[in-house]
Formats: sequence, C-alpha cells, structure tokens
Amino acid sequence: MCVCSRFAKTTASIALAGCLLSWHTASHALDLLDGDFQLHGFASLTLVSTTDNNLFGQSDNQISKDFSEVGVNASWRLTPALQLSGGLLSRRAGGTDDGGVRLDYGLLDWAPMSSEGGRAGIRMGRIKTAYGLYNTTRDVPFTRPSIILPQSIYFERTRNLTVSADGAEVYVERFGEGGTLSASFAYGQPQTDTEAAKVPLVGLDRPGKLDSKLAPDLQILYEGAGNRYRLAFTALRLDLKYQPGYRDILQAGRFRLTPLIFSAQYNAENWSLTSEYALRRTSITDFGPYFYNGTFNGQSYYVQGTYRLTPQWEALLRYDAFYADQNDRDGKDFAAATRLPGFTRFAKDWTVGLRFDVTPQFMLRAEAHFVDGTGFLAAQDNPNPQALRRYWDNFMLQASFRF
Amino acid sequence: MVVIAHPAIAEDSMPRATLRAILGMRLQRWPGETPVKVFVLADETPEHATFSKSVLQVFPQQLRMAWDRQVFSGQGQYPEVIASTQEMLARVASTPGAIGYVKASEVTPNVRVLKIR
Repeated sequence: MCVCSRFAKTTASIALAGCLLSWHTASHALDLLDGDFQLHGFASLTLVSTTDNNLFGQSDNQISKDFSEVGVNASWRLTPALQLSGGLLSRRAGGTDDGGVRLDYGLLDWAPMSSEGGRAGIRMGRIKTAYGLYNTTRDVPFTRPSIILPQSIYFERTRNLTVSADGAEVYVERFGEGGTLSASFAYGQPQTDTEAAKVPLVGLDRPGKLDSKLAPDLQILYEGAGNRYRLAFTALRLDLKYQPGYRDILQAGRFRLTPLIFSAQYNAENWSLTSEYALRRTSITDFGPYFYNGTFNGQSYYVQGTYRLTPQWEALLRYDAFYADQNDRDGKDFAAATRLPGFTRFAKDWTVGLRFDVTPQFMLRAEAHFVDGTGFLAAQDNPNPQALRRYWDNFMLQASFRF
Repeated sequence: MVVIAHPAIAEDSMPRATLRAILGMRLQRWPGETPVKVFVLADETPEHATFSKSVLQVFPQQLRMAWDRQVFSGQGQYPEVIASTQEMLARVASTPGAIGYVKASEVTPNVRVLKIR
C-alpha cells in the first residue's frame, strides 16, 4: 500500500515538475513543442446566502464569500502515445476547505494500443476518480451544470474521499458506428489525511486518524449518436479504518462504503435532460457504544433539465433527493437512537438556475435552492446539530473566468 | 464542408466514428504512427457549427464539453484553433499528420480530401 502510494506520489511529482519546467521557458516551449504543451486554468468566486443554516461559511442571513475555486493545469504530449498532465487546485469552502494549494491530479497517460476502432492504455499517478458523469471535473465551474453539483451524489462535505486517488487506472475505448464504449478500472489510495475527509465520517474534534485501503473504482460509459446519449455505470468501494487517538471515546471502527451509480443523459441541440441514481451501501462497525453503528442503504437521485435560451443564456431546473438510509427515510429511527434531528438524514432540494456566458472565457451564474432537510450540510459550518433548521433556502451568485 | 488532411496521409476515407474520436482528441495516431494534429475554427464560426452538426454529427457544445472534460482531468488536450479558412488550408498543407475542414468550394490541390463513410 505504502509503496504504491509513494510510487504514485513520485510519478505525480515528476509529472508536475515536467509541466512546470516546460512552462518556465514559456513562450519558447510553446513554439518548440509545436502546441504539444498546453496550460489552462480557471478562477471562480461565489457569494452564498441562506435563510437558515450555513453553507460554505457563515451564510445564515448574511452573505458568505468563503467559496472560491482556482485551478491551473498543464499537459504535455510527449509522443502520440504518451501524455504528462498535472493540475493544481486551491479551494476555499467555508469550514471544509481553507484554500491551501494541492495537487489535484498528476499523471502519466500511456496508450500503447491505438487503432481506427479504439484505444487502450494506463494512467499512473494521482488520478481523478471516475464517479458519475461530473466528478472528474467537479471543481471546474464551466463543466458543471450548476454552481454546486447535485449534493445527493456529489457531496461537498465528503468530497475528499472521491476527488482523486494515488494509483493506476487502465482504460479501454471502442469507437464504433453505434457510439463510443469506454471502460476504466482504477485502483488507488484515496485521500483521507485531512480533517475535511475525517469530520463528515466521525464528527468534529476527534483525536484519531482515518486510513483507507486501496480502493477499486470501475466505470463503464456509453456515448451514442455523437454524445446525444450518455449512459454510465460506476461502482466504487471504500474501506476505511479509524485509529483512535489519545483519550478517544471512539473505538477502532470501520467504514465500508460501496456506492453504485447509474447515470443517463440526453443532449438535444438546445436542451439536456440528465438523471443519476445512486445506491450507497454503508456499513459502520466496531466504533463502540458512543457512535451510530449499523449497516444501511443510502439512496440518492436527481432529475435535471437545462435549456439554452440563446447561445449565451442557459436555464436550469432540478430536483435532487438524498436519503442516508432508505429504510429510515425520515430519520425517525436515527433520531430515536441518537437524539439528533431526524432531518439531518435526508435532503430534498429544488434548484433553479441561470447561466450567462458573457464571453467564452467569462461566465456568470445565479442559483436558488429550496431545501427540505440538512443531509448534505457540513458539521464544520454547522457545529451544533440542534441549531439546524429543517426548511431552508439558499441563494448563490458566481463569477468564473478561464483560460 | 469537407474533411481535409495533410497530403502525405495514406487514407482517402475514414469511418465517421474514427473522425469523431480524432476530433474528440481521443485518437492521436494515424495508422503508421504519424501523430495526429487537429485544427479547428472557433466554436462560434458558422463553418465550425456546420462541420460539427452535418459532417461530425455532434453538436458543437457537446464537442466543447468533451474537450473540457478531458483537459481539466488530465486526460487530453484541446485542438489548435485557427483564425481563418486560408490559414486552415496553409497549416493542414504544411503540418504532417494534420486534419481540418473547409468548405468544399475552397479546397486547394495541396491538401487531401477525406471521404467519410
């Protein structure tokens, strides 16, 4: 496990160093490499205001400016079969992310097999986790359908576990008359070494530490009729162990999370319809009497429509539902067992949004969420669960730039 | 609109699925190992829209989203955007492995026209 992780980190560092080194001689590099070196990035700032509860900082009846995303990435095509890529990300998100710069991905992509009908290869290093339709570019505002992704599937609070992993991914793609069929299988070390990864699983102020086994991640994607249809299936398995700290009331517990995601999208010329359904089997064991142990199935889904009013304006309507336990949808059993509010175990979110592409590089967005339940809120921004309100609205404005 | 390639490219036709993979920046090599070099006109030009919709049969915004997904996850690169048809012809004619598109009436003898099957 350690060796693999170290190997991945080394590969990632080399990838990044290679890219940065090339950029160092910027203008020359671009000419010398004949466009085979590319540098891109984005910067985004979001204002958030909620009627109750906090999202991305202190947003309750005030305006929080604590949600921003800045990223830079470089890629270098060394040969037609070999590409080196690296991306750095700084993300501020209320109490869950402090804006520290980190390696989002850094990988060597080698595709030794390539023909008219398909290609196959392997990616090594820090690899973005294939998870539903949006996860690999989840922090890039231009690639999202809305300011925040549907939280039932793309949780912001547990994002660290599924954002990227250190390891390897093999992939196969078949370019057929009926469409493109792709499959990828990754095996890697998820990022568990931050408070942001630990808190959503074990809660605030726990002295212990979270370790993960290598996680397998499978995705099968079919894109038909020139991307008119996109259908995907994703299966991921996370196996995490908690190592109690000094005077910890928790014991050495174990989390096993097995999300299965079914994704479907239809793209017409001026509108798109997207839906994803996730069944999340969760097993929590051995934490002792001061924790909510158990095995249950979480359920998530959303249905989303986007409509291009003009080439520059796009409207969004979405219904997004999350249930932590499908046999306890209203959280009553949970509330009886823990004395915490039952509505922390679900969230039903109606979203309307508007996107305005001022230029291809500059985008403005406005969005409103009308939410029943607090299932996706972060404890870091809402430390007292008894102070949470079941019904709350959320309004956001975002400005994003890219190059 | 017709697909044009560097004159040294051996092929004179290709399946639409392969063209989509090349324009989608997923296929980087011609048979015989020559690197593929993709040239496109800007998204908002009528030529790009016509080429995308009628030759490639992919909506231009879907093509753009496919490029974005790859570039921002470290899985691919953008094609090179060319400013004019004249420049497109000149670059395709002079770059080994190049592929691009122009109106059928604007084809010059120094590029190869590829039929899509």
